[in-house]
Amino acid sequence: MQGEESLVQRAQQNDQEAFAQLYEEHFDKIYRYLALRIGNEMEAEDMTQQVFLNALRSISSFRWKGVPFSAWLFRIAHNQAVDHLRKKKKRASVPLDESLVSSGDSPHSTTERKIDIEQLLAATRRLTEAQREVISLRFSSELSIAQVARVMGKSQGAVKALQHSAIVALRRTMLVTEQ
Amino acid sequence: MKEDKEFNNILDECLERIVVDGETLEQCLERYPEQAAELKPLLETVLAVKAASAVEPRPEFKARARYQFRSALGEKAAPKHRPFFGWLPRWATALAIVLVVLLAGGGTVAAASNSMPDSILYPVKLATENVRLAFTTSQLGKARLCSGFADERVAEIIYMAEKGDAEGVEATTERLDDRLETLAVLVSELEADEKTDADTMLTVPSAGEEAAVPPAEPPESPVAVEEGGWGENGQPQNRAGFMVTVAGAASDNPAVLRAMLEEVPESVKAALLEAIAVLEDGYENVLEALE
Repeated sequence: MQGEESLVQRAQQNDQEAFAQLYEEHFDKIYRYLALRIGNEMEAEDMTQQVFLNALRSISSFRWKGVPFSAWLFRIAHNQAVDHLRKKKKRASVPLDESLVSSGDSPHSTTERKIDIEQLLAATRRLTEAQREVISLRFSSELSIAQVARVMGKSQGAVKALQHSAIVALRRTMLVTEQ
Repeated sequence: MKEDKEFNNILDECLERIVVDGETLEQCLERYPEQAAELKPLLETVLAVKAASAVEPRPEFKARARYQFRSALGEKAAPKHRPFFGWLPRWATALAIVLVVLLAGGGTVAAASNSMPDSILYPVKLATENVRLAFTTSQLGKARLCSGFADERVAEIIYMAEKGDAEGVEATTERLDDRLETLAVLVSELEADEKTDADTMLTVPSAGEEAAVPPAEPPESPVAVEEGGWGENGQPQNRAGFMVTVAGAASDNPAVLRAMLEEVPESVKAALLEAIAVLEDGYENVLEALE
């Protein structure tokens, strides 16, 4: 954590390498979060880029105060996702892009995983916004409960309850799909 | 309720052990034999979710994004071209402008108020705006000014776009973004029925006006507030009236820029689209803050 704090301080002082390091450390997680949250590859890509450009523009406003940099970054991503989904609400949902699949997989595992992703996205569409947010942050981006709570502005207890209800709902939906 | 909370804690502990510490599902269930039946399907679901959501960004996208981010980093770190007055600290710029107003009788400032980004007087215009903001004490007064300055930026974007100056459009869009961000912060701090104190503002002329020294005495009577939040001078006098003004600008300004898309050179279109996006996002934030 201390290493990250000094990295952030250097980035705030316009140290390009420090910011580049923060970028590399968080890029994939932010992308995964947005990919699951938005369900569309191209949009997730654009938004991931925008998250880091926004972070670059406003890093001077970041104050440490014990809050990890990742929580601040995910907060930016969260706000963008909320804006995006609000604008998109009335539009028809876009089918999952073919290439929203890990490129390093064998053909067999690719097929299996793709089915899983499609099922997962279909299942998450039945969740509430808050439940979907918890699932994305917790299992796709691997944030701790405390970090998720900070990003969402909720108590840890509330996040745990959302996590529980989301998993139960996913389980139910996925079972129905399998049948 | 208490049992729910306890189960949520156990579930989360198991998740941490499996997801972070690499414990197996069976190991975890052994720790909680009483809850094992309920935990098992949930943990299996999480493992499936985790596997399915492990998508990686495309390598070509990663490379492109990295290149663009590095470029943006480089631009940020590069020393910026300092505008006229740029070497002065903000307070000194403000003081300089006040002196200009007093010494030049306002002529320079009045001329600057009509200037466009390619004019030598443009930095005076921007500095004058900052002085007006600094000398306005009420939040609503500042918000009104900021909203007007955003309109100015839109007019400047139109001018630069017509000239085919994409860089000029981009630079003005950044200034527009700053004004809208400031506006969102200002309106978020507004009281529900806050009124302007236009009388406490330093009167710096806008286009076509002569400069005036700040009034020594306040007016005898407060500005009349009409129903719906509009004063006699046609300016919104409270939050509700101001919201109507902003809603109008939020609808009109992007529409004007969008209408221009057909007329401007191809080289400017991307910058103009960015300006439209900034406008829409910016006003959305302002309106949200006002609600």
